[in-house]
Amino acid sequence: MTKAKRLFLSGGIFILALIIFIWRPTILIYGIQRAGLYAAVALPMALVLGIVHIVNLAHGELLMVGAYLTYFVSVTFGLDPLIALLPVAVVMFLLGMVIYKLTIKHTLKAPELNQLILTFGLAMVLGQSVNLIATSQPRTLTVDYVSTSLSIGELTFGVYDFIFPATALIILGGLLFFLRKTRVGKAAQAVGQNPRGAEIVGIDVDKIYLIIFSLSTALVSIMGSLYLTKQSIFPLVGGPFTMKSFALVAMAGIGSLPGVLIASLVLGVSETFLLSFKGYGGWSNIVFFAFIIGVILIRSHKGKQI
Amino acid sequence: MKKLVVLVLMLALVTVSTTLVFAGGQEEGGSDQPIKLGGVWPLSDITGEQGSKAAQQAVDEINAAGGVLGRQLELIILDSEFKPEKGAAAIERLATVENVDVFLGGMASSVHLGQIPILKKYKKLTVWTGAASHLAENAIGGDADWYFHLHPWDYQQGGSYVDGWEDIIGKYSDIKVDKWFLAYEEGPFGSASFESSKVLFSDMGDFDGESFKSAAAGGGDYKAVLQHAKESNPDIFLWAGYGADALPLLQQSKAIGFEPALYVGAPPGWPADFGSSSLAEDVFLYGMWAPAMNDINPVSKKFYDGFVEKFNVIPATYFAPLSYSAVYLIKEAIERAGSLDTEALITAMEQSKYKSALGETITFKPSKVIKHQGIEGQKILQWQNGRQEIIWPFEFSTGTPVYPFPGWENR
Repeated sequence: MTKAKRLFLSGGIFILALIIFIWRPTILIYGIQRAGLYAAVALPMALVLGIVHIVNLAHGELLMVGAYLTYFVSVTFGLDPLIALLPVAVVMFLLGMVIYKLTIKHTLKAPELNQLILTFGLAMVLGQSVNLIATSQPRTLTVDYVSTSLSIGELTFGVYDFIFPATALIILGGLLFFLRKTRVGKAAQAVGQNPRGAEIVGIDVDKIYLIIFSLSTALVSIMGSLYLTKQSIFPLVGGPFTMKSFALVAMAGIGSLPGVLIASLVLGVSETFLLSFKGYGGWSNIVFFAFIIGVILIRSHKGKQI
Repeated sequence: MKKLVVLVLMLALVTVSTTLVFAGGQEEGGSDQPIKLGGVWPLSDITGEQGSKAAQQAVDEINAAGGVLGRQLELIILDSEFKPEKGAAAIERLATVENVDVFLGGMASSVHLGQIPILKKYKKLTVWTGAASHLAENAIGGDADWYFHLHPWDYQQGGSYVDGWEDIIGKYSDIKVDKWFLAYEEGPFGSASFESSKVLFSDMGDFDGESFKSAAAGGGDYKAVLQHAKESNPDIFLWAGYGADALPLLQQSKAIGFEPALYVGAPPGWPADFGSSSLAEDVFLYGMWAPAMNDINPVSKKFYDGFVEKFNVIPATYFAPLSYSAVYLIKEAIERAGSLDTEALITAMEQSKYKSALGETITFKPSKVIKHQGIEGQKILQWQNGRQEIIWPFEFSTGTPVYPFPGWENR
């Protein structure tokens, strides 16, 4: 894309955003908040897909397990969930290592269908295990700060949800720094681009896969902890996130972490735009898939891979 | 001679086998054997978990008091897992493998629709505590005299809400319900609630509403629908969703500054510790029982104390006292019938007049389709100081309504 085209596109988006903000500011406010949640959950999946090349269908269930662990740590030790998420992330990193060593590692050279079935099975095992241990009763933590609001004139809106875009930006920035500036990150990039070549130059590919999968598990568990502050959790709560995350990664293009952020923003604002019209909320589910179909068709037309 | 010996031996073998089989058969239904009750609940859900526990509590109480007709009761509990095929298989197993005398339990109309053909095959006495959909009632039909349904049907629930609000505004003149807004989850449960409520409440004032995607279905962002409700400025805001939506709805209402004068929730079950949140204070709800009933009903108190003592947990769903009542209804019917003959049991059940922990004295009357309907309405309750107070029907009331819903900043 030329500089002029980029400038024109940026200007167009800015003007559109300004018009929306003046017309109905809540569309932009809630759209950004929603986009942040989508992006922060999808980024760890994009990381695994870009480097380990595996579609983790247990992604949402790992979020759910992280949320449950945070719930029990918070209730047992009286900790605020925003503090409890740190030890939980460490535990989830270790759980990611165990899952990788026991299962994922053994299917990496198998056909992709085997990997899908494996991670689907993992999702089932995690979901049912939590169901048996914690029952299907929704669990909620009451934290007062989640309903903090701000009033500007007649407009009152919640501000806590900005934690999601903020977290998405931190995760994105952290991952880009990790991948571009650290030795392990650079090695991970090399493995993601050409695992065989990376192995030839002496990179321990298996170790990189282990680190990336565990890191992704820890990151998605952090999102589970944050989600718990806002929503009730139950064993099936993670499932829809797997679907949305995969679709966003597909929209962004595999391996493009900033692309996930942009795709989430387009999706989040589009959804809140439709939701702002009373009675048209149901269309927001369709626009999600319409975008994905559109992007995949355009990419196919241009001869690009997802 | 040899042939004769073989013949005699065979005859002896047949005689002994027949005697043993006959004796075994006698023993199966003998007076020293327990009367078997077969219960099916979704055990991973609080309704099923606590419902089955409460039924076991009633069985243990009855056995401790000497049983029924000199025999002990035995409760066999199977899990429906909220799946129609599992629920149906459970009934089949209870009938064939466990050879139970009575079926009980139940939750979720979708599961029950799968079970009904199997129940019709065996036609044993059935005392059902769940399934509110009129579709289940239609599936049972008008000729199933062995079927006794305790939970009110959906149209009965709706009717009771109308009666309740009319009574409340009649008694408390400051309460206004001229303008309604119903936020409902977009699935069959919420959509059906909206359609039926629109018909039921249209005579009481303007009725408006909008769907939302429940957290249980991957949603959980209610800001848009709450914003529309706020713009509508209703006298009464109701939401029909699931327990997972309860607290997040309140949090998001607070975040956008939405403070309707009446805030009413109607999920099938509430999340654990919902009442401990300051946001829950003065929210109205629909239900059939609350621990507050202990203040006015000794059966409720006996049930509650026994449950807490036995399981070390507070009963948090009305399915617990409902299942407890089901076992006592069966016990009293067996005593009246004097046997386990199905016809005699049906007649005895029809004579039931059981003072239940739910407040109502349970008798059975015909509903729109079935012959034997127990409870015919729900109650209107309100969270006050962390506990559910019964506001309506006034005969069971344990508190007076707090109105209007206080502002978020005053909590």
